[in-house]
Amino acid sequence: MMSSDDELAERLRDGDEKALRTAYERHGAAVLHLAHRLLGNQADAEDVTQLTFVAAWSGRDSFDPQRGTMLAWLLGIARRKTIDRIRSMARDNRVTETVRAQVAPPEEPERPEQIVDRLVVADELSRLPAEQRRTLELAFFDDLTHPQIAAVTGMPLGTVKSHIRRGLANLRRRWEVDGAASRPRSIGTSRAL
Amino acid sequence: MQHLDPDRLVLLALSEQTAESDETGHLQRCEPCRDELDTLRTVAGLGAESQGLSNLPAPPEHLWQRIEAGIAAPVTPVADVTPRPERNSRPRRPWLAPVLAAAAAAVLAVVGTVTVDRYLRRPPAETVAARATLSPLPTVPAAAGGTVQVLSDGQLRIDIRNLPLTTGFHEVWLIDPDDPAKMVAIGNLPEKPDAVLPVPVGVDMNRYRLVDVSDEPHDGDATHSGRSLLRGTLTY
Repeated sequence: MMSSDDELAERLRDGDEKALRTAYERHGAAVLHLAHRLLGNQADAEDVTQLTFVAAWSGRDSFDPQRGTMLAWLLGIARRKTIDRIRSMARDNRVTETVRAQVAPPEEPERPEQIVDRLVVADELSRLPAEQRRTLELAFFDDLTHPQIAAVTGMPLGTVKSHIRRGLANLRRRWEVDGAASRPRSIGTSRAL
Repeated sequence: MQHLDPDRLVLLALSEQTAESDETGHLQRCEPCRDELDTLRTVAGLGAESQGLSNLPAPPEHLWQRIEAGIAAPVTPVADVTPRPERNSRPRRPWLAPVLAAAAAAVLAVVGTVTVDRYLRRPPAETVAARATLSPLPTVPAAAGGTVQVLSDGQLRIDIRNLPLTTGFHEVWLIDPDDPAKMVAIGNLPEKPDAVLPVPVGVDMNRYRLVDVSDEPHDGDATHSGRSLLRGTLTY
């Protein structure tokens, strides 16, 4: 049974290093992914990931499960550490060229918020009840319509509709809660779908 | 017309169907419906982009070891309840110094022989029982590092690189990460990148699994100086 963020936060606050290890096993990949997408190379991404978890440990008292999930908290730290790293790289003229060559993609660089949002939504999708998850994955990844999903899964169309509607509402709720860490909070409350 | 039906908004957000003209008209006039649709579209877009992100490859284990080295509580010198013996202030007898020097030389000669002996008798194929990657602590230049192998015969082989210069010496410790005040001194490092140090018989390597290299001043104090340079956790 996975321990909840609340329980993990409590163990972290008590100084239990195993709780940090659990957080790393659960979210280390997402932190590394964010850093890698923004920095463009594995070595710097690993440095930032290390800094992130060390900072999470020393700032463990500041995690409040009421304000967002542990994933969002860690990604928020990682985002700041990555931006610090990019700035210090840019200050160092000797590496500027290297960084530019590695980081700057020909197209518009991706915003950190976009990557964070995607990771948060991916995490929530993986936690949805199985049927909500299945129907949404068929809609998102396979681009199937409601009737096609009904045909593939053998569920009645009305059931497919309600799974998708509820699943989307769950993703939205999570996105609104966890997005708060990285952008000004939207005042609008999520309407029950 | 009335507000758009939630199911209808979902279909529009997923671009599964397009809005009828009366719906378009309503969306232009009705801000709540428009916001609702925009939000659902954003979430659905993020969902579609999230493929593969919920089963990202696990980050490498050596990265965890670096984190662990970074968070290990700064080592405070072991709480010493017994006062250190006061050094006798009486001057040593003049004849004692050469005798001591000779004795020290004899000890060194014996140690040297034993060490050489050990090397010569070492079986050709050693098995490595545990290993660790040593990473620099935040205050130490990032280029510093090293590796540790614990051989099945109880010896600890350590390779280090780019350690900051010291006016003292570098000492190797095994620390209990669950209780960092508990540690075992393994020995000091010679002025070369690698060394083989014996681990005292009976040390529980599962408990004392955090390898620590410290900078020790020549102060005659045998306890940890508190200045750790490298750390890494043994894995089996």
